[in-house]
Amino acid sequence: MKATFPHLLHLDIALGVLYPNLGVEIIIPPPITQKTIEIGVELAPQNACFPLKVTLANFVEGIELGADTIFMAGGVGPCRFGYYGPIQKIILEDLGYDVNFVLLDHPRYGVRPFIKALQTMAGGRVLSSRVIKVASLAWKVLRLSEDLERERRALRAQVKDPQKLDEIIEGALERLRTVDNEKTFQSIKEETMKGLENLERKETEDLIKVGIVGEIYIAQETKVNFNVEKTLGDLGAYVHNSVSTVEYVLHTLPFTRSREKLEAWKLAKPYLKRFVGGEGIDTVGSAIRYAQEGFDGVVHLYPFTCMPEVVAKSILTSVSKDYDLPILHLAIDEHSGEAGLVTRVEAFVDVLERRKKLKKRKLEVS
Amino acid sequence: MKVGIPRGLLFYRFYALWKTFLEELGAEVVVSPPTNKVIIQQGLTYAVEEICFPAKVFLGHVLYLKDRVDLLFIPRLVSFHKREYNCPKILSLPDLVRNLFGVEEERIIGDEINMREEGIRGWRRGFLNIGKHFTTKESKIMKALEQAEKAHRDYQNNLKKGMLPENLIDHKAPLLPREKKIVLLGHTYLLSDSYINMNITKKVNDLNYSVITPDMVEETKKRYYLSTISKPSFWTISNEIIGTALYYLKEKKPEVRGFIHLVSFECGPDSLVGELIERLLKREERSLPYLRLEIDEHTGEAGLITRLEAFVDMMEWRYSHLESHVSSSTSS
Repeated sequence: MKATFPHLLHLDIALGVLYPNLGVEIIIPPPITQKTIEIGVELAPQNACFPLKVTLANFVEGIELGADTIFMAGGVGPCRFGYYGPIQKIILEDLGYDVNFVLLDHPRYGVRPFIKALQTMAGGRVLSSRVIKVASLAWKVLRLSEDLERERRALRAQVKDPQKLDEIIEGALERLRTVDNEKTFQSIKEETMKGLENLERKETEDLIKVGIVGEIYIAQETKVNFNVEKTLGDLGAYVHNSVSTVEYVLHTLPFTRSREKLEAWKLAKPYLKRFVGGEGIDTVGSAIRYAQEGFDGVVHLYPFTCMPEVVAKSILTSVSKDYDLPILHLAIDEHSGEAGLVTRVEAFVDVLERRKKLKKRKLEVS
Repeated sequence: MKVGIPRGLLFYRFYALWKTFLEELGAEVVVSPPTNKVIIQQGLTYAVEEICFPAKVFLGHVLYLKDRVDLLFIPRLVSFHKREYNCPKILSLPDLVRNLFGVEEERIIGDEINMREEGIRGWRRGFLNIGKHFTTKESKIMKALEQAEKAHRDYQNNLKKGMLPENLIDHKAPLLPREKKIVLLGHTYLLSDSYINMNITKKVNDLNYSVITPDMVEETKKRYYLSTISKPSFWTISNEIIGTALYYLKEKKPEVRGFIHLVSFECGPDSLVGELIERLLKREERSLPYLRLEIDEHTGEAGLITRLEAFVDMMEWRYSHLESHVSSSTSS
């Protein structure tokens, strides 16, 4: 068995730590490029949401490198993500690919298929001490990869040499790929954090703060969202992203909950009373949290026609009014162009800066 | 008390149920008029651009009613089938109306009806909560629900017999019966709103075909054929559409000549389910022709007619071709 799986930011690093240690051979799909996107657009239904297209292309590129098995997560709705698996499976079959499509679905679609899928994905065993040890290391790697990105977003506008910042983080991510024990992991972590601390800072006064909200794939995957967070940082903004795979996993596992998410859901309640699939309610709640924390603006990133996010977008219009919070909505799909996107982000940052100055002047007068 | 029901989305499915229930509780029910240009314009003005066309139309109906009634009836229909959902937009309708139009919460009957976990208990609790807007007497509410469910069954039975919602709601004359049939797949709110679907049922009828819609097929049959695929979807209406398509695909009734699938451009479930159905049809030997028609605010009537006519021509040619092929092979 040679298994492949979809990309989601640095998920491949964590799974690259997990699987070889479980004795499962994996093929990491090639990094997402324009070619990947073209493959996805050609094969997937025209009006499907963008992540379905890109992840389908990941599978195809993985198969072309020799994969014969696909690992994919399922879902129970109401967002389309939960139905990606069956659609991608039938498309691959019709293309003539002879692959084993392993769909890890919610146990509510049958406990036995769930355990069987889990067993296949864990290389035969489900709960041995070795599996638990390896899984916990992979989990730490995933968390650290997210922490590093958080640092990168926060620091880009503050350091003198952003290129150096990128080098440190890219270097650390590369080293994480080959981690196989706790000790190496800790030393990478400590060295990287020290490296970041020692980066020379600019004398910055009062950076504008921008929060990112939106759908889990598009808001995180910098390879398809034109790295909006980097553009924001280069324009001098402190950036924070509320979307996180770690929090998603915590909230999906049967015995854990994400405190971040619960908090966001509570904040969203006056506007959106219930979960509507995907990250719809998180988007609303996180935008409110950014407003309360004094952020200057919010960027909303989502796949074009994404149902939960279209609901969130409708509702954010009144959040924006009530909290006097500027929100830039960016719907991403294969037709999005980098130039247009950058222009919109630049204009948005301009507005935020002007608002900030104006507010300051008002304070000084009074 | 005047209670307004917007004529859109699940209205076409639950018209008899809702109207009877509210009237039994003493409400004066006002239904917005059939969709027209003004209603659509209103919806388009206020809705976000990317929401699906039927949701925009629904919002237009809400705007029509907003200042004409005391209460707006927009229950939150999370699920009307165990383990299944409606789409995110339907799940959030009361919130959309509050946030987009600034309608106060007290003016919306937006109680949740949710059969996903609890089945019939979730259904009853939903209606009990709705009833409490009118009376504190639980027995009165349950009696009203009983009456409403009876009206709902009659309504559904009439649909099974081949009536369309417009025949029952607006007493429009039924279409002429035809020998040949086309299965018209799609959400009831697309198939039943003749303004937004450009009167497709009538157009198909004029081309000498009767239509069969998912509402006309027995629930048990739809569910049986649905269960033959490895993972059904989690959207109830989509599942009914898949079940209907598979039923006519597998049973191979001679009078059924093809499928027309009406979808709205921004509809999430349609974008995946349409693909699934098309691929399942292609896999079948001696399959039936399939046409997908996308509807949104930019759809032109002329283009729709052209595609429809071309499809029917192709279907007839294909049928006569197959027929002669079959008869020549049996005679030899």
